[in-house]
Amino acid sequence: MSRGWRQDLAWAGFILGLAMLFGLVQQWPLVRTSWRGELAPRLSQMREQRRAAQFQGVKTIDLARAYAMFQSGEALFIDARPAAEFNELHVPQAINLTPDQVPAGVAEKLAGLAKDREIVVYCGQANCDLALKVAEKLQALGFTWVMVYVGGFRAWDEAGYPADTSK
Amino acid sequence: MRISGRLIGLRALEVVLGGLFFYVGLQKVLHSYEFAEAVLAYQLLPESLVGVVAAGLPWLEIVAGLCLVAGLKRRSCLLLLAGLVVAFLVVILITMARGLSIDCGCGLFFQRQVGLGAVLEDAVLLGWAAGLYRWEFLRSEKGGPGSIAQAAP
Repeated sequence: MSRGWRQDLAWAGFILGLAMLFGLVQQWPLVRTSWRGELAPRLSQMREQRRAAQFQGVKTIDLARAYAMFQSGEALFIDARPAAEFNELHVPQAINLTPDQVPAGVAEKLAGLAKDREIVVYCGQANCDLALKVAEKLQALGFTWVMVYVGGFRAWDEAGYPADTSK
Repeated sequence: MRISGRLIGLRALEVVLGGLFFYVGLQKVLHSYEFAEAVLAYQLLPESLVGVVAAGLPWLEIVAGLCLVAGLKRRSCLLLLAGLVVAFLVVILITMARGLSIDCGCGLFFQRQVGLGAVLEDAVLLGWAAGLYRWEFLRSEKGGPGSIAQAAP
């Protein structure tokens, strides 16, 4: 190993240590929260606060309510994830509609749908906002019974609820 | 003239690369909890260590990026940045193999999912950093300007 290479490594180690020290000092509250095992609840709380401010008026439901509505067969499920993920696996009979496809895709995919039809929108997991964005846009188009299942498809799938690959 | 032009071009590439890492590091520092959430979503670290990574990694990008822009310990910075990108690549490939569909938390201009796009982006950055390191190393071995041989008393 040449002297130059060893010096490079030594200085890289010094810069790494310095950067970590800066990070630990500057982000101490985050490091402490994480170390105490309180990060996930804190993130969840921050997410709720942000969503409450950003998506005012969008109604949300939990997994049990979403499954009950799926079993009743009265609600239309909308999957807000990108097409590739939707095609892989989704809630049976769900329609794929991403935020970018609203409003253009509504005329094509929701043609003739009553404005007061129960609609449940979901996306990938609890921390994704795609479903909230689609729900907000659908409400702006006049749909009155739009709800967001906030747990996301991952929780649905992990619960062992029905899923299929048909488009 | 040809050589100095090449030197300027390669130095410009270092400044751009350093600036890029400085920018992404700054984005992560400014949105530290969002970045911690992205790190947590990879499910590769215990929750107790996520904070340390989310706090330290952006500062590593900032310090190494800034030093590279300023021309301080350029080879060490390039080595660090290349190592960082290799670590990102490994994490992204593991995540893809596990079939997780999550935000990559890359902090570069727009949000995107873990996937081939992120792999390609990191491959380009790795080639960029490694290529510049090789050039700097060969230049110093030959005793060019800014080399260790010249700097030593």
